[in-house]
Amino acid sequence: MIPLSWYLIVSALLFSIGLYGVMARRNAVAILMAVELMLNAVNINLVAFWRYTAPDRAVGLAWAVFVLTVAAAEAAVGLALIISVYRRRDSVIAEELDTLRN
Amino acid sequence: MDFIQDNLLNLVIFFPLLAALVIFLMPSDAKRTVRWLALILSLVPLALVMVLWFNYDRVDAGLQFETVAQWFPTIGAGYHVGIDGISLAMFLLTTILTPLSILASFQVEENPRMFMFLFLIMETAMLGLFSALDLLLFFVFWEFGLVPMYFLIKIWGGKDREYASFKFFVYTMAGSLGLLLSIQIIGLSMGTFDIPVLMDKWVNLQAGGILPNVNLPVDAVKAVAYWAFVIAFAIKVPIFPFHTWLPDAHTQAPTAGSMILAGVLLKLGAYGFLRLVVPFFPEQANLTAGILATFGMLSIVMGGFAAFGQWDFKRLVAYSSVNHMGFVVLGIAVYAYAYGRAQAFTDPATTTDAIMATSGAVLQMFNHGLSAAGMFFMVGVIYERAHTRDLKQFGGIWSIMPVFGAILIFTSMASLGLPGLNGFVGEYMIVQGSWNIFTVQVALSMIGLFMTGAYILKGIGQTLHGPIKDQWRGLTDMTFREHVVIWPLMLLMLSLGIWPQWLLVFINDTVTKIFS
Amino acid sequence: MSEETLALLTWLIPAGPLLAFFVIVLFANRNRTLSWVLAWLGVFSSLILGWTVALSVATTDLHHLETHPTVVASAIDWLPVGDYFQGTWLKMGVAVDPLTAVMLIMVTFAVTMIFVYSVGYHNWGAPLGTILGVPNHMQEEPLLGRFFGYMSLFAGAMLLLVVADNLLLLFVGWEIMGFCSYSLIGFWHARDYHLSPESIPHIPPRSAAIKAFLTTRVADVVMLLGIVWFYRAFGTLNFSQALSAHSLEEAVVRIGAPALGIMALLLFTGTVGKSAQWPLHVWLPDAMEGPTPVSAVIHAAAMVSAGVYMIIRIYPLIAVGAGPHGNSAVSWTIAGIGAFTALMAATIAVAQYDVKGVLAYSTISQLGFMVAALGVGGYIAAAFHLITHGFFKALLFLASGSVIHGMEHGAHHVHDHHTDPQDMRFMGGLRHKMPVTFWTFFIGGMALSGLPLVTAGFWSKDEIFAEAWHSFEQGNALGIVVLVTLAVAAFLTAFYTMRQISLTFLGEPRTPLAEHAHESNRFMTVPLVLLSIFAVGAGWFGIPESFPVLGPIVNNNFFHHFVGATIYETMAELESLDLVNAAIETLPFSWVPLTASLVVALGGLFVGWWIYGRKALVKDQQDPLVRPLGPLHVFLNRKWYWDELYQVVFIKPTVSFSEKVVYEVIDKGLIDGILHLVALSFYKFGSYMKRTEELVFGQAVDWVKDQFLAMTKVSRQLQTGKIQEYVLVSVLIIAVLTAVILAVNYYGPVNEWFSQIALFVN
Repeated sequence: MIPLSWYLIVSALLFSIGLYGVMARRNAVAILMAVELMLNAVNINLVAFWRYTAPDRAVGLAWAVFVLTVAAAEAAVGLALIISVYRRRDSVIAEELDTLRN
Repeated sequence: MDFIQDNLLNLVIFFPLLAALVIFLMPSDAKRTVRWLALILSLVPLALVMVLWFNYDRVDAGLQFETVAQWFPTIGAGYHVGIDGISLAMFLLTTILTPLSILASFQVEENPRMFMFLFLIMETAMLGLFSALDLLLFFVFWEFGLVPMYFLIKIWGGKDREYASFKFFVYTMAGSLGLLLSIQIIGLSMGTFDIPVLMDKWVNLQAGGILPNVNLPVDAVKAVAYWAFVIAFAIKVPIFPFHTWLPDAHTQAPTAGSMILAGVLLKLGAYGFLRLVVPFFPEQANLTAGILATFGMLSIVMGGFAAFGQWDFKRLVAYSSVNHMGFVVLGIAVYAYAYGRAQAFTDPATTTDAIMATSGAVLQMFNHGLSAAGMFFMVGVIYERAHTRDLKQFGGIWSIMPVFGAILIFTSMASLGLPGLNGFVGEYMIVQGSWNIFTVQVALSMIGLFMTGAYILKGIGQTLHGPIKDQWRGLTDMTFREHVVIWPLMLLMLSLGIWPQWLLVFINDTVTKIFS
Repeated sequence: MSEETLALLTWLIPAGPLLAFFVIVLFANRNRTLSWVLAWLGVFSSLILGWTVALSVATTDLHHLETHPTVVASAIDWLPVGDYFQGTWLKMGVAVDPLTAVMLIMVTFAVTMIFVYSVGYHNWGAPLGTILGVPNHMQEEPLLGRFFGYMSLFAGAMLLLVVADNLLLLFVGWEIMGFCSYSLIGFWHARDYHLSPESIPHIPPRSAAIKAFLTTRVADVVMLLGIVWFYRAFGTLNFSQALSAHSLEEAVVRIGAPALGIMALLLFTGTVGKSAQWPLHVWLPDAMEGPTPVSAVIHAAAMVSAGVYMIIRIYPLIAVGAGPHGNSAVSWTIAGIGAFTALMAATIAVAQYDVKGVLAYSTISQLGFMVAALGVGGYIAAAFHLITHGFFKALLFLASGSVIHGMEHGAHHVHDHHTDPQDMRFMGGLRHKMPVTFWTFFIGGMALSGLPLVTAGFWSKDEIFAEAWHSFEQGNALGIVVLVTLAVAAFLTAFYTMRQISLTFLGEPRTPLAEHAHESNRFMTVPLVLLSIFAVGAGWFGIPESFPVLGPIVNNNFFHHFVGATIYETMAELESLDLVNAAIETLPFSWVPLTASLVVALGGLFVGWWIYGRKALVKDQQDPLVRPLGPLHVFLNRKWYWDELYQVVFIKPTVSFSEKVVYEVIDKGLIDGILHLVALSFYKFGSYMKRTEELVFGQAVDWVKDQFLAMTKVSRQLQTGKIQEYVLVSVLIIAVLTAVILAVNYYGPVNEWFSQIALFVN
């Protein structure tokens, strides 16, 4: 088997890319996509650890499925919110949505 | 049947409260239903009092129909009620006047449901107070009676009702503060609030000692508590100079409110003197009896002069209450002087004096209740038609309303103390009993008794006599309903004037027992 | 007649009129005829019963009476005092002794006559009057029911007083009569006068009623003190028990005779009020505003008599109070007031023009005679004059009412409603127009003047003089003072009576009113005739045995022995105990008082006739006394200005005291002022607390708030609202934290430093 650390490095890379996307993308939808990326990176991490430390127990798997589900829900809600915001403000650029300022 | 017999007293006390709740649940626009229901329900306590009356044991003449129940065992306050001859007389007065007052209020158009509700609650408060044998219970009923009266004046009263109701409420309550404090000290130090028990324990405390539990000197506490008690009840009676709330409250209250206020509520103060002040503090009472008599005399005299100076008929009648209650105070002063000392008198006639004066005072309480209620009602009758109480504007009414005139004269004569009617009997007994003990005060009170004649004649003269004034030509004479209100009062006044025994024996037996 | 029956009849004497009162007021009020019929039934029943009882007592053996004067005594328990079974109840009852008996004879008869008269007086049968509360001249009185109701109540109360066996029941009757007096004087309650300055002044009847009630009330409240003291001293209010020799002796031992004297004076004050003695006499003349029957019954026959009756009843008390152990000031006060009143009122009567006014002052004067008589010990004389006076004064008043009716007939005839029909100056010649009235008035007037031998007034007045003289002979200076004063008063009495008769009846009519007067109806004239019989005959029962010629012929001073028997034994015992100055004794004859009586009576009548009757006054002629007396006449005519004095000294100050001082200054100003001050101070305190709170807490809180705000200004910068910047910040913080955690756990020096802190904390 290939060492665990390879998987972890991949997920770290993916996570960083996702984090960069969240921080740097202008479009809110793109930010959501980047969040998906981060969540998937976390999933890879989970599954890798599960496979390499306790494969006979379902904990890691269950957890990963859970995260997947939550990610999906979150994506749905997030997109709904973005559509709602777009309808009101005609914009999906995150920088312009600053009504919580101060 | 057993339940009724065992709890007769409680039923009498709390039935009006029940009735009040029933009234409250009626729809607010069912005015006729509310009035008639209130009237019929208020007759039930009267019927029950009749049962009490005929089952009262006059030979025993002490506390009867007692009920004792747990209430606040941790502080020693219980539910203890019972009646003796004096309470019974007051019960009768209250249960007679309440239905009559309710009947007198049939013409109240604004929110009669609330009116009747408040009235019935007040009846429970009054009945409860007259039978309370626990200090805390007494105080609860005492304060309880204030609130409905406040609202009655405030909502259905005359022009200056805000001022009058506020003055009445705050003044009485301010007086009660000392009372409450004293009750608390008594209860805490003695461990009980029960009146019969305290009449023994509290009175027999060693002078010069220290009160248990509160660690205060007995003499100082007794002195202060005595005056606190006196002030609270003096405001209610009212005794000059604590009387100034009365003219405003009586004048601004609606007719039925004045009837009950003058008829019963004032007697709460006098009853407080009889039941609490003197029995709890016999030494202090004996020492200050002369002061009490002097203030009684002042009430008679100053009340008489003030009544004579009025041009508002209702205010005149209000001051007449001060004048009449002054006689009650005079009798109570004798009671204070003689309480507990019957054996010490060298002259046995002094005991007779004390009995006569005290019985006279209680009888006068009853009599004044009747005549004051009657007078206020008659003033209400003319006010309803003429919409004024200004004596200067009246005149010649007798030719227009002859029946009203005759009844007004009859009631006025009872108030004046004409022999043959009830007012005289009470006044005579009080004067007879107080003469030897408080000669100077009695002699000076005669000035007040003279003024009684002056102001009564002023009232009826200005109203009934003189040429007819055109503005009053169309006034209608008394209606059937009004007759039904006043005739029971008139019959009682006449019967008590000619044959006062039927009531007096109850009072006399209890008073004799107190002084034996 | 058995004692039980007599007792029952006695109870029933006042019952008739009282019952009539209730029935009339409750049921018969609107029916005028039924009202007077019921009233008649009431008084006639009391007349029959009263005379039956009285005659029954009168026919009792005299010696038996002297030892047992109270023939009827019946009482019931009324007021419980003390133990129900063993205590003493206050009892109410009736008793009849000789004094009661003679009173019953006079009162029932006079009252009945007046009731009969009233029906005619109020023009029953004539067209009905329309205006309520004013006299409807010549028309039937619309409020006749009310009139007879009150009259019945009054009669019942008077009879109750007469048969009462105790002071309290007497007082009950006394006060109820006072109420009836008030109601009947003010009967024409809506009447107002619109008078010209020359006419006789009148106050409205309603004011006169209040004046009467309140003046007597002054006396009554003082009398009440006497009553309560009486009960305290004797332990009972019953006359025969309290005023027995034994009881009085004990009382003297216990509280002393002077105290009893003061008690007597307190009770006497009631008489001063009720019997209109100076200084409380002012109500009676104005009481003439009432209908004439009222004046007759209340102010002649009954109510004012009650005052004198009462002091006659308590005479033993007075005698002890003024006796050897007591204070003679008591008898001087009583006799002094009586004599002064008698003289004063007589002088005023001389100058009055109102026909009823003269009679009013005459009544006051005659009552003064009775009071003075009692003051000098003339128990029987006072009682005698009381009885005779009741008859002839009632007669005079009724006759004067008939005169007034006649004048009103005349006024109606000539349509003159401005001339006062009661003013004697406008009368004259009525002797021909109203003969029955004239002769009965004449008889009454002669009785009043004391025309010797034939009139009752002579015998009773003579006895008073005899008593006064006898008292003086016994060494009491009071006797001569009283005799002289009363003699002058008697002279004036005869004088003004003759004046009145002359002005009213003699000569020629001076106005059309008198010209067209005619005799009154039978309801009115029959009582006049019947009363005149008594005005003449009643005196013959009191002819002293020692009187020259007539005495031995009659040889039985019935009145003296009969009435004297009431307290004969008591006084004899008291005299033997040296508690009183004199017992009841038959007066020895003396020429002095008899001469005095004859001289003053005949002299007064003569002078009166000389001035007014010999050459009767003609139209518009002034009263012959006006010029000679000058300002004195004005003083007398204005009644010595007592009313004006009382107005200034008592009435106005009381009114202003009540309205201003007590109500405005004390109640509203002082007491309420204090209350309002207390309330204001609480309110001000509350406002102060509120402001303090706002200031202190408000400012402090505001400062804290400002600091906060300043702090937040800085931290606000972090909140840009842009989510990506928030993410950036969180990433940075996570990075730092990760570095710190890794360093703490793995980097040597940091690790050591951290574990030291951890140790210290733990």
